[in-house]
Amino acid sequence: MLVIGIESSAHTFGVGIVSDGKVLANEKMMYDVGTHGIIPVKVAETHIKNSAAVIQSALDKAGIKISELEGVGYTKGPGIGPCLQVGQIAAKTIAKRLKLKIAPVNHAVAHAEITKREGGFKDPIILYVSGGNSQILKITDKPFRHYHILGETFDIGVGNMLDAFAREIKLKPAWGSTVAKLAMEGKYIEMPYTVKGMDFAFSGLLTYASELAGKAKNEDLCYSIQETSFAMLCEATERALLLTNSRELGVCGGVAQSNRLKEMLASVCKEHRMKFGFARNEYNADNGAMIAFVAERMLEKGSHQPLEKCDVQQRYRIDRAMVY
Amino acid sequence: MRLLSEGAESRVFVTSIFGKSAVAKLRHAKAYRIEQIDGTLRKTRTKKEARAMNKAREVCGRVPALLGVGKFTLYMEKIEGTLLKDVKNQRVDYGEIGKTLAKMHDADVVHGDFTPANIIINKSGAWIIDFGLSDITDSIEDKALDLLLMKRSIDRKLYAGMESAYSKELKNSKLVLDRLADIEKRGRYQVRSLA
Repeated sequence: MLVIGIESSAHTFGVGIVSDGKVLANEKMMYDVGTHGIIPVKVAETHIKNSAAVIQSALDKAGIKISELEGVGYTKGPGIGPCLQVGQIAAKTIAKRLKLKIAPVNHAVAHAEITKREGGFKDPIILYVSGGNSQILKITDKPFRHYHILGETFDIGVGNMLDAFAREIKLKPAWGSTVAKLAMEGKYIEMPYTVKGMDFAFSGLLTYASELAGKAKNEDLCYSIQETSFAMLCEATERALLLTNSRELGVCGGVAQSNRLKEMLASVCKEHRMKFGFARNEYNADNGAMIAFVAERMLEKGSHQPLEKCDVQQRYRIDRAMVY
Repeated sequence: MRLLSEGAESRVFVTSIFGKSAVAKLRHAKAYRIEQIDGTLRKTRTKKEARAMNKAREVCGRVPALLGVGKFTLYMEKIEGTLLKDVKNQRVDYGEIGKTLAKMHDADVVHGDFTPANIIINKSGAWIIDFGLSDITDSIEDKALDLLLMKRSIDRKLYAGMESAYSKELKNSKLVLDRLADIEKRGRYQVRSLA
């Protein structure tokens, strides 16, 4: 089945084309977050301007005509309302014009599922770490097949925490990778560490590190905030792995691009002789291919939605989305 | 010493102390985190755990007796039985678990990792183990989190039985249950639909 997937939950407008699980195209254009971050309405405007071009470039890359498409998928949530709506409208327009079936996809499910495929996993624990989300996930079949949230952040996502801190010490974007670069030269300063079972919280750490801005060396602050937050994620993840007797761990989401985090998680898995894996960075950043990948399977299983039911949900929790 | 189990942050060995079968819980070094974080966490948690275990045992009795404390190691009495998470064909009195938790909370002992992996079931009832993430605090939030962890881990009906016994036993349980409802209502649990 030739399926197009449209992703627009945050500052990326991405379009992917998939056929029989194989990615034919994965194109994107991004809103420049500058030094101010994401302003929802501005991002949505940019997405509207870019949408046609990205869709066309995906079709060109895949070497197909739009009329050859057999199905449509889009990100229903979670994400930023005005941004989500741009992708939703684009997808619905294509579906309506070409009389195609359409599937609303949960963004987090898409990250997890493409990682599962890329890592060759059977039944892994998934650590999903991005700007807005930080969750430890595992598929369960009751009462329907979905990702159960074993643990998650009590306040902010680890990505947003690192970004907010980076702005506090006046770093330029991309914040996460700039923090990582400075961290390489840093020494450790003790910082608050908050893990409660398999859950964790980052706002205390953010406040503490931000208050030290200008009083301690940036390198040391970056090193300490990164080591502390990643250690928290690792501890909670390790506990989840052991509690569920899992043998596989996959990490996904924007923060999964961090080499240090991957190194630490690999160390956790090595201690227990577990399998560890992740998707290519292209799939850890927001992208349309993962949406198309999940949409194709949903459409094949007959779980399309009538157009009037194709809404967007800013807080579409992963445990509410059925997985096929 | 024989390795009994390996947890996320410690290894538990079976040993014997004064001829009685005992358990040694060693917080081993974790290679994934830097030495400074690792050492501090292991030291402070070992100390905290000892304090909380003693207090919890005093008020509810359903906690292994502490026999000795090292820098990274706790020695305690061995409780025979099955972990609640592995219990299959055995009746479990969830009301009793709720009552035990209430007694601990009444004395301001918060467990911090109150899941079926940290409860042992045997003929004499339910025993609470692994105070590794515990704290002594009157924080309503932390007490509510103990309930939340169990609520997420077990069947809804079983949890309801546990919660009702908990609220009967604890004087200010309404505060805790209200906070639990609050936590569940916090932003990320709400679902709103845009057209």
